[in-house]
Amino acid sequence: MYGLQAISAHNGWAISVVGITIVFTGLVLLSLSIAQLHKILDLWENRHNLGSLKERLLKKNQPEKILSFTEQQKESAKQFKLLARTMDDSFALPKLLRLAEVSGLNAPHSSLALLLESGIIKSEESGFFTWDREMFMKIVQ
Amino acid sequence: METLFIDFFQNTGIFLCDYRNIIMIIVGSIFIYLGIAKHYEPLLLVPIGFGMLVGNIPVFEGLGLGIYENNSVLHYLYYGVTQGIYPPLIFLGIGAMTDFSTLLARPVLMLLGAAAQAGIFITFLGALALGFAPNEAASIGIIGGADGPTAIFLTAKLAPTLIGPIAVAAYSYMALVPVIQPPIMRLLTTRKERLIRMEEPREVSKREKMLFPIIAFLLCCFLAPAALPLLGFLCFGNLLKEAVVTERLAVAARNAIIDTVTILLGLTVGASTQGNVFLTSSSVGIFFLGAISFCIATAAGLIFAKIMNLFLKTKINPLLGAAGVSAVPDSARVVQMVGQREDPTNFLLMHAMAPNISGVIGSALGAGVLWSFIR
Repeated sequence: MYGLQAISAHNGWAISVVGITIVFTGLVLLSLSIAQLHKILDLWENRHNLGSLKERLLKKNQPEKILSFTEQQKESAKQFKLLARTMDDSFALPKLLRLAEVSGLNAPHSSLALLLESGIIKSEESGFFTWDREMFMKIVQ
Repeated sequence: METLFIDFFQNTGIFLCDYRNIIMIIVGSIFIYLGIAKHYEPLLLVPIGFGMLVGNIPVFEGLGLGIYENNSVLHYLYYGVTQGIYPPLIFLGIGAMTDFSTLLARPVLMLLGAAAQAGIFITFLGALALGFAPNEAASIGIIGGADGPTAIFLTAKLAPTLIGPIAVAAYSYMALVPVIQPPIMRLLTTRKERLIRMEEPREVSKREKMLFPIIAFLLCCFLAPAALPLLGFLCFGNLLKEAVVTERLAVAARNAIIDTVTILLGLTVGASTQGNVFLTSSSVGIFFLGAISFCIATAAGLIFAKIMNLFLKTKINPLLGAAGVSAVPDSARVVQMVGQREDPTNFLLMHAMAPNISGVIGSALGAGVLWSFIR
C-alpha cells in the first residue's frame, strides 16, 4: 500500500497531529514554567519581606482617588489649562501662578492647590511641573 | 600442503570479497577523510568510518567474527546499540556538558525547538506514503530530529533491522549540517532579517540552573513517559553539572563515559553496515527521506521564527529557527556563521544554543511519543 491510502490505513494523520501537538505542548509548558521560575525564586529569596511587598501591592491595586470638582472649580481648571498651554511641557509653578494673577483668574492660589492635589498638575524630579491631560479629562470633562 | 594453502586462500578477504564490501569500504574511507581532513564531526565520523572498514572485511560464517554472529566480540559490543543502552549514556554526557543558561534567559526561544520537530512527523507521513511500515516510518522520521542517539534509540526499539542505515544517515546529516542548512537559511530569510541583533540575555542564577533539570524532567516525562530513558539521563547529567557538589560525577559523565560510549557506538554502528545488509533499496529510501526530513526540520524552524516575529515586540533573528534541529552545537554554529557572513559583529551563537538545546528535548519527546504510539 502506498500514498495517501497507506497513511490513512496506518492512522498516520492522527499520529502526526497528536504527536506534534504533544511535543509542542510539552515545550510550551516547560517554557512557561521556566519563564516564571526566576520570579518564584525571587519571591522565595525575599520571603522575609513579603509583608512589605504585600502592602506595596495593596497600595498599587487600590483605585486612585479622583477628586470631584464643583462647576466653578472646573471652569477655573479649564482656564488654567489654557494658560498652561502657552508654556512649555515642563513649567515653573510660580510662573503659572503669576500668569493666572495677571489674567485675573479668581482665587488663583487655592485653584492651583486644588489642581496639585487632584494630580492634574504633577511635579517632576527636576523641580518643574507638567500638565496631566488624562487626569484633566477624567475630572473636568 | 597445497590443499592447506588453497583452504587458507579461500578464507581470505580477497577471495570472499563482494563488490558491496568494496563500496562500503570506500564510503568508510570517505567518512574518515571528511572527519580528519574536513573536520566534519570527527568524533563521530572517524569511529563510524573505521567501523565500516571493520564491518566490511569479509569473513566466513562460523568463526564468530562478524557483528551479526551471536558469539562475536563485535556482537556483544553491538548489544548496547540494539538494546538502546548507549543513547541514554550519551545523553547523560550531553547533559553534563550543556549549559542551559541561554534557554532559561529566553524561554520563548524554546518554541523554535518545538517547531523544528515538525520535520519528524512530516517525514513519518512521507515514509508511510512510500510504503514503509509504521515502525520503520517512525524510525526514519526521527532522523529529522538530527539527533543520532535518539534516532538509534527509537530504531532499536521499533525497527532494529534498520539501525545501520538510520544511524549512518542520522550521523551523516549531523556532520553535513554546515553544508545542508545554509542554503535553506538564505532561501527562507531576507538580508534584513539576517541582520537582526538579539537582545542581551538576562543573568541566570545558579539556583535556576539547578532546578531546571528537575522541572524539565518531571514535566516532560509526566507528559510523555516514553521519553524517560533519554530525558531522564539528559536531565540527570545536567543536575550533576549544576549541583556543584557532584562535580566528580559530572566530569566522569562528560569525559570518560561519553567518550567511551561514543567510541563503542560509532565503531559498532559503522561495523553494522556490512555491504550485503546495508546496500539495499530501503537504505536508499532511508537516506533520501532522511535528507528531506532534515531539510523540513530546518525550514519549519525558520518559518516558525518568522511567524513569531509577527507577534513579538522585540524581533528575533529568524536564523535561530534553524538551530531548532538538535545537532548540538553544530546547527548553532551554522547560525553564527551565516549571521556573521552578513554582519561580522553580530554574535548569534549564544542565542542559538537555546533553540538547539530545546531541539534535543523536543526530539527526545518526539521519539517517546512515536514509541508509545507504535509499540
